[in-house]
Amino acid sequence: MILLLYVFIAGWLVPLKPGIIQVTPERAEAGQIVELEVTGYNSNYTKDQGEVRAWLRLAGDTVIQAREVQVMDDRHLTCSFYIPSAFPVRQEAYPLSLILDHTSDGTSVLPNALFITPAKVQDENEAALWFSDKVTSVHEQSGIRFPFRNILSETIRNTYFHVPLWFAMIILFGVSAWYSLQYYRGGQIDLDRKTVALVKVGLLFGVLGLVTGMLWAKNTWNAYWSWDVKQNMSAIALLIYAAMMVMRASLEDDMQKARLTAGYNMFAFALLIPLLFIIPRMTDSLHPGSGGNPAFGGEDLDNTMRMVFYPAVIGFILLGLWISQLVYRTEKLK
Amino acid sequence: MKVRKLDKSYHIYGRFQPMRSFKYLIVTALVLMYASVYASGEVQTDFIRSIGKIYVVAGVCLVILIALFVYMYQIDRKISRLEKRYKNE
Repeated sequence: MILLLYVFIAGWLVPLKPGIIQVTPERAEAGQIVELEVTGYNSNYTKDQGEVRAWLRLAGDTVIQAREVQVMDDRHLTCSFYIPSAFPVRQEAYPLSLILDHTSDGTSVLPNALFITPAKVQDENEAALWFSDKVTSVHEQSGIRFPFRNILSETIRNTYFHVPLWFAMIILFGVSAWYSLQYYRGGQIDLDRKTVALVKVGLLFGVLGLVTGMLWAKNTWNAYWSWDVKQNMSAIALLIYAAMMVMRASLEDDMQKARLTAGYNMFAFALLIPLLFIIPRMTDSLHPGSGGNPAFGGEDLDNTMRMVFYPAVIGFILLGLWISQLVYRTEKLK
Repeated sequence: MKVRKLDKSYHIYGRFQPMRSFKYLIVTALVLMYASVYASGEVQTDFIRSIGKIYVVAGVCLVILIALFVYMYQIDRKISRLEKRYKNE
C-alpha cells in the first residue's frame, strides 16, 4: 500500500524533462534560409538566453549549426538556419532532426522536425557546409525528471500503471498454476479455491491492463485497437482464462470442477508464456522492443523512472496477491 | 412503482435493495455521459491531449482505481452477507 502510494505520488508529481513539441514550418527547400519557430515543453529558454545552441542533424553526426537563435519567451524561440543547396548524400527528401542545447535545460531533440526538398540549383561546394560534429559539450539537465518522448510526452507516466498490471497478472497466473500442480499431487479441494481466487484477480488485472492499454493507445497510436501482436496475444490469453471460468461455472460437481480446472490452468499458463513472451518478440509490434526484447533501457525507462517503476511492479504484485487472499478467504468461509 | 417491480432490485428474499438500483442508475448515467461526450468527437480528443496528454494518465489511473474499488466493495459485501448468515445461525 505504501509502495503504491509512493508510486502514485511520484509517478504524478515528478516533472518531465524539457522537450520540443512543435516546429514550424515543417517543410522547406534547400538552398535557403529557414526561420524555425520552436515550441518547447517544460522549457526555460529565457534563462541564460545567449547560451541556447541549435543544430539540424541530417544523419549520424552530420549537422549544421544555427546562425542565430532568438528567444521569445520560456516556451518559444526562433532559430535561423541556412540549408545548404547540396547534401553529402543524395535523397528525394531529407528529414532533419532539431537538436537544442541549453545550459540548465540540457539537450532536447525533435526527430524529423523539418523535411527538406532538394534545391533546383545545386552548388556542390555547399555540401562542405555540413560538418561532422558529435554535438559534444552539451549540457545535462540536473534534478529528478522523467524523460520527454515526443509522441508519449506525459503519458510516459503510464509505464507505472499499465505495465505493472501485466507483471502482476503473470505472477498471479503463475502462482495459480503452481497451486494447480500441487492440487494434482495432493488433491485437497482447498488448493482449488486458492487457484481460482488467483485466476479471478489475475483476470481482473488483465482486463484492466487491456483497458488502460487501449486508452493509452488511442492517444498515442491513434486507435483503441491497432491489431498489434501484443494486444492480440494478450486478448487471446485472457479469453483462454475467461473460458476456464465459464467451464467451471457450467460444472455441477465440485471435485470434477477442481480436477478439470487444475489441468486446464496448467495448460493455460503454459500457453501464456508463448503468447506473451515469444510470439510478440518474433514479429513487428508497436509496443517497445518491436521484434526483440522490450526496450527496458535508454529513454523508455531511464534510472529516474526505474526508481518509480520497480516499486510499482512490486506494489501491484503484492496488491494482487493480497486481493486474491481476500477472495480465497471469502470462498473458504462459504 | 411499476418500474421498480420490473427491475431486479427485488432480491430473492423479497427485500428491496436501494443500493442496487442506485448502482444501475449510476452506471447508466456514466455510460450516457461518456457516449454524449464522445459524440462531440474532436473537442474531447483535444481536451484529453492537452497539456502533454496528461489526461490520458489521469484516465488510466481512474480506470484502475475505480475498478479496484468496485471489486473490493463487492468482496466486502460478500463478506458482510456471510457474517450476517453466521450471526443468524
